[in-house]
Amino acid sequence: MLDLITQLGIGFVNCATPINLAMLVIGIVIGLLIGVLPGLTLVMGVALALPFTYRMDVTASIVLLTAMYVSGTYGGAFTAILFRIPGEPIDVPMLWDGYTMGRRGQAAKALGWTLVAAFGGGIISAIIMVLLTQPLAKFALRFSSPEYFTMLLFGLSSVVALGRGALADALISLSVGVLIGTVGTDPIYGAYRFTFGSPLLADGIEFLVVMVGAYGVGEVLSRLETGFASKPIEKIEHARTELPSFREMSAVKVPFLRSSLLGIVIGIIPGAGATIASFVSYGVESQFGRRKEQMGTGIAEGIVAPQAAATASVGGALVPLLALGIPGSGATAIILGAFMLHGVQPGPQVLVTSAAMVYTIFASLFLGLGLMCLIGYFAIRPLVKILDFPEAIVSAYVLILCFIGALSIRNSVTDLWLMIGFGVLGYLFERWKFPVAPLVLGVILGPLAEESFKNSMISFSNDWTVFFTRPIAGTMATLTILVLLLPLVRKWRG
Amino acid sequence: MDHSLFRAVVPYVVGLVLAAVLYVYAGQIEYTPRPGQLGPAVWPQMAIGLMAAACLFEIVRKLTGGRAETRGIAEILSREGEAEDEPRFPLLLVGGIVLVTVYAILLLVLGFIVTTFVFLASFMYLGRYRNHGVIWATSAIVTILCGIVFLRVAYVSLPRGTTPFDRVTDAFLMLPGL
Repeated sequence: MLDLITQLGIGFVNCATPINLAMLVIGIVIGLLIGVLPGLTLVMGVALALPFTYRMDVTASIVLLTAMYVSGTYGGAFTAILFRIPGEPIDVPMLWDGYTMGRRGQAAKALGWTLVAAFGGGIISAIIMVLLTQPLAKFALRFSSPEYFTMLLFGLSSVVALGRGALADALISLSVGVLIGTVGTDPIYGAYRFTFGSPLLADGIEFLVVMVGAYGVGEVLSRLETGFASKPIEKIEHARTELPSFREMSAVKVPFLRSSLLGIVIGIIPGAGATIASFVSYGVESQFGRRKEQMGTGIAEGIVAPQAAATASVGGALVPLLALGIPGSGATAIILGAFMLHGVQPGPQVLVTSAAMVYTIFASLFLGLGLMCLIGYFAIRPLVKILDFPEAIVSAYVLILCFIGALSIRNSVTDLWLMIGFGVLGYLFERWKFPVAPLVLGVILGPLAEESFKNSMISFSNDWTVFFTRPIAGTMATLTILVLLLPLVRKWRG
Repeated sequence: MDHSLFRAVVPYVVGLVLAAVLYVYAGQIEYTPRPGQLGPAVWPQMAIGLMAAACLFEIVRKLTGGRAETRGIAEILSREGEAEDEPRFPLLLVGGIVLVTVYAILLLVLGFIVTTFVFLASFMYLGRYRNHGVIWATSAIVTILCGIVFLRVAYVSLPRGTTPFDRVTDAFLMLPGL
């Protein structure tokens, strides 16, 4: 424990270098702006920032991206509460109680609740992240390929079962993603799969091309089809934050703790991120909360639950990324990409080989949460002013950053073409209400799952029962089945 | 078959046909088999099988007017009535797809600087923004900023363009103070 505190202390010192502090502040501000802008999602924003980090030091890069990630879970609440415009899908539950409270003339108090929930949930998850990463990394050293496979399978199933959209559509989306992940040279046989004679496809399709295309270009095309029609924004003369009193906070401590822990658990599940955390937490509060009948009428629990869970999911998502090398969400998949671009492979060994970097990232999360709340508290008015910026201009910039992102991955125009193709696919998915998240996570986790599946089959003579007979693998396989049955059970029970 | 049912079934029929084609294609992957080991086609064929099964299930469900679809937990827990139908402009969408395609075609010919400048201005007009001064000024500023950041600072290898357009990129790179 003392060693952990010392390492974290060193992390704080490392984090205080001018470059890391600058990246932290820039990341927080950009993350808040991304949260505020409805056409720019959190994952898209983090993906677009990636090309800027190529020439940076690895620690500064990850500090920047993590800061954007954490503050992006908070910024969207401003516009959801003040204007009924959710900046992110995460913030949709904020409309039900946050906006309603705002309409009662208590917008400042609603904003205060989001600030407290984001800060508290974030801090709890950061503490758990610090405490959990090292033991999990040590525990993961015992993992063999069946354990990795069942864990990845659990992650992929969770995205399908816990996410939004119809289950069959999510399965189709996931299959397409896994299939895209198989394009290229087979790692065991060296055989070409779905390369159609293209030398560039023989190297596979970079998941960043799919992410930037499906989230970035796809979203812009969807918005363009609506003519960038946005709701008229009401004039808010006195946008400010009013913190709740200690007594008021004490009254919601149970929902707050429940939501924070739920957010952390959902964040830890590979694949499930802040959006799922926010919705599930609100749902749990609506069904089990002390004031469940009043949910949706503008009560504090309806604001605290989704916000605390969303921000808490960040620390949770960083745990499997750092300890196992498996991204816990879309944004952490990009952070994984940033690590790999700088030649660092997260996983059980990273705490041994790059402990200073890991603890600097941990420290940056604590500092980032404090800074996020300070900036959010004092700069709310200039932040929401960005909504005055015409969407046609913002979307044009987003597209250019998407193009640069695609071009810079392998310096090839083929990646640009692929990205445009995935952009159109992302649009079609959006149009036909197929969820995009399983597609993207299929591309990211699919190759990892295939590798561990094949290694398991080679090591255990094609005996698939190994996924059920080994204790950890069996537990994960059972959880996978349970999580897939969950929506069906919910449906049957009405 | 009524029009709305046809529209609802089309994506799944397309998915099913695509799955069949890809399954056959995956079966033709060339490799030297190793005894006791699964081939390179097994994993993609599993994914294709899952996709085909889900498509088939949805086609049958929709055609037989069966039970309501099973939705994800986050969807079940969210409230209905949040989605609001917005008017759609298919021509704008087509224009957007054409514009990004033209960008990719012209990039190697005109180079990053010229293509980006033209694209930015064109996209803003396509997005129905009409403040000409802002359009041209912001297009120029963002092009210059991207050029400085990615060509001069991050050294991303962005296309220079073919003669004579490469001279614009060269001139940009030689601008004093950059």
